[in-house]
Amino acid sequence: MKISCLQENLSKGIAIVNRAVATRSTLPVLSNILLSTDESRLKLSATNLEIGINCWIGAKVEQEGATTVPARLLADLVNSLPAERVDMELITRTQTLNLKAGRFEANIKGIDAQEFPLILVPEEDMRVQIDPDVLRQMIDRVAFAAASDESRPVLTGVLADFSDDGLTLAAADGYRLSVCTTELEQAPEQPTSVIIPARALQELRRISGEQEEPVEMLVSSGRNQAYFHLKDIDLVSQLVEGTFPAYRQIMPTTFNTETIVSTADLLKAVRMAFIFARDASNIVRVQMVPGGENSGRMIISATSAEHGDNVSEIDATVEGKPIEIAFNARYLIDALDVMDTAQVSIQTRDASSPGTFKPVGGGDFVHIIMPMHIPR
Amino acid sequence: MTTGGPAVACWIMHVDLDAFFASVEELLNPALRGKPLVVGGRPEGRGVVSSASYAARAYGVRSAMPMAQALRLCPQAIVVPGRHQEYSRHSHAVMDILYEITPAVQQISIDEAFLDVTGCERLWGPPEAIGRLIQRRVREEQGLPISVGIAANRLVAKIACDAGKPQGLVLVPQGEEAAFLAPRPIETLWGVGQVTGRRLRALGIATIGDLAAWDEERAVRTLGERHGRGLWRRAQGLDDSPVQPGSERRSISQEQTFAHDVADRLFLERTMLRMSEAVAARLRRRGWVAQTVRIKLRDPDFVTQTRQETLAQPTDQPEAIYEAARRLLDAHWTAGRPLRLLGVGVDGLLDEAGYQLTLFERDDQRRIRLNQALDEIRDRFGDEAITRAALLRRQHRPEEPDPTEGV
Repeated sequence: MKISCLQENLSKGIAIVNRAVATRSTLPVLSNILLSTDESRLKLSATNLEIGINCWIGAKVEQEGATTVPARLLADLVNSLPAERVDMELITRTQTLNLKAGRFEANIKGIDAQEFPLILVPEEDMRVQIDPDVLRQMIDRVAFAAASDESRPVLTGVLADFSDDGLTLAAADGYRLSVCTTELEQAPEQPTSVIIPARALQELRRISGEQEEPVEMLVSSGRNQAYFHLKDIDLVSQLVEGTFPAYRQIMPTTFNTETIVSTADLLKAVRMAFIFARDASNIVRVQMVPGGENSGRMIISATSAEHGDNVSEIDATVEGKPIEIAFNARYLIDALDVMDTAQVSIQTRDASSPGTFKPVGGGDFVHIIMPMHIPR
Repeated sequence: MTTGGPAVACWIMHVDLDAFFASVEELLNPALRGKPLVVGGRPEGRGVVSSASYAARAYGVRSAMPMAQALRLCPQAIVVPGRHQEYSRHSHAVMDILYEITPAVQQISIDEAFLDVTGCERLWGPPEAIGRLIQRRVREEQGLPISVGIAANRLVAKIACDAGKPQGLVLVPQGEEAAFLAPRPIETLWGVGQVTGRRLRALGIATIGDLAAWDEERAVRTLGERHGRGLWRRAQGLDDSPVQPGSERRSISQEQTFAHDVADRLFLERTMLRMSEAVAARLRRRGWVAQTVRIKLRDPDFVTQTRQETLAQPTDQPEAIYEAARRLLDAHWTAGRPLRLLGVGVDGLLDEAGYQLTLFERDDQRRIRLNQALDEIRDRFGDEAITRAALLRRQHRPEEPDPTEGV
């Protein structure tokens, strides 16, 4: 293998695939990045066996070939190179990658490309096109609600439900639930439901960065892989096996109080309360005082036995019964962070029933948070 | 000081509010002052005495005594149900006074605490003056009587405090610890419960001094390596356990010494369920939640093992405590191993706390409501008024559990 490319492109490509590199693997080759020539481009690949990313960058290929080199080392090295042309040549006998840029030269010991697992483009069962801005917004609104601990693997994933109505993403960690729906220009031939690891979607969100072309999504015929095709980038993810909880059943259908409040004001008040709440199990007490057209109030408070307490009051439109309910401040902040409208609507029933949060005029998005039980 | 090096005099203080709940009731209703007053559950519900005024104690009424028995001893006693929020409010105020003296305060329960006042002389004067200051401030600012014990360590300070009750102040001079303890009944010593007490008395040990007169090796041979050595050292008035500031050290536990060693898993589980119920009820009564569950296992040869698990989130529910206790038993007890004692306890207690409800297991809300209803029934009719079906079939249940709260 003998190729040349620009340091800038190489560095960008490495940054994209780097997140799929295995951090703790018993298989040494998974800590490496696969470099291979693909027609007149250089293809970079990495996988941790759960997700895999391929990225193509422009290059001048003098001699075809492939090798793998340690990801961390390559990234550190390339990032410190001058923004110039980089020439790379594989010494096949020793699996050493010789790298030159200007007056700089390095030799990196690699592992034979034959040992690198293949990231296959699956045989497709379903194919849809999704607007990249819509997809990014949906991932932002939903993926954070997935569980981060592995005790219930199915909750570490995001349910993607394709039907005639469009695409619905749903995620829940047992304490909160996010559900967001969008129409699709072209509905899939048959309704399909898969669970995609939240981490894979977050990586997709990251690598789709500035892409403006639609993202193409494929589900493999064995229903065990999802494949996302972007410009110059592919992401393949294993799917989570299992049945997602019947979340529609737990979505509240009635409420006693509806509060409409400025998203920014509420977020500010909750962040303030969090300063005290963080050493008191994150408990923030929220009180809704009825009153129409901003003549109602929301009172947000937190108490730390050790450090003190705080209270803030904000104007709100509150219809229905007064209520006092406690939430985990972290969950409130996470939810309000993704409410990208000026106002948020909060529907509540009582202190031990879930609260429903919606962006006012912000599309088909619902976030549900279970309250905290306060013994007194 | 048994070893070389500079002898730095430590001054540890134990403070304990006298007949705390009863004193608060007298404060809230001065008409009750000086009358035989008993705080606790109703006698017809088989309730127990949680606090008795000194006027009632004169008739022999004691804490933890069945209310029916208390009323037989003192028929004219005035019985009032507890008002725990009031007690907790006064308790906080008293603890605040202590924290103004020194930050080295370890709260042991709602009405007692240890203070390390070593080196406070320049600020507040000698230890005895500090004791008087605390007594005066608690009396003037909270209207409550408090007893103080001062000594070189926690063990002796606590016993000194008990010796002076009510409204006493007892200081044991440095070096006179053993002499101070010697004439006291052996059961006064930490670590001597009913069982060990009976055993020691059978060996002719009636006072702490009797045990102190043994040589150390004999204590170890008779009572086991750790237990024996520990008791013997304490009998000499030695104790180097530090005052651990912060209220996180609070804990609630229940333990039971079986009359016969038990290896029956079902029986152990049922015992743990009953203890979990009791521990959770006490948590709820105080409005606390616990972050850690622990179990205590003691073998027939007195080897004691304590194992704990931190919960994913704090709780005041018996089911969560029991589940954790059972996991601990699974991990640290092998089938067929006989136990002499079993205990369930909780640590990492938080007030002003709560726990996250779950979306999918909506059962927990029903359980919370159920346990609230149970609390109300027990408050009105006594602890034995209602129980789990699983606890009804009693096999060998020789000794009532010995509720221990504190360190």
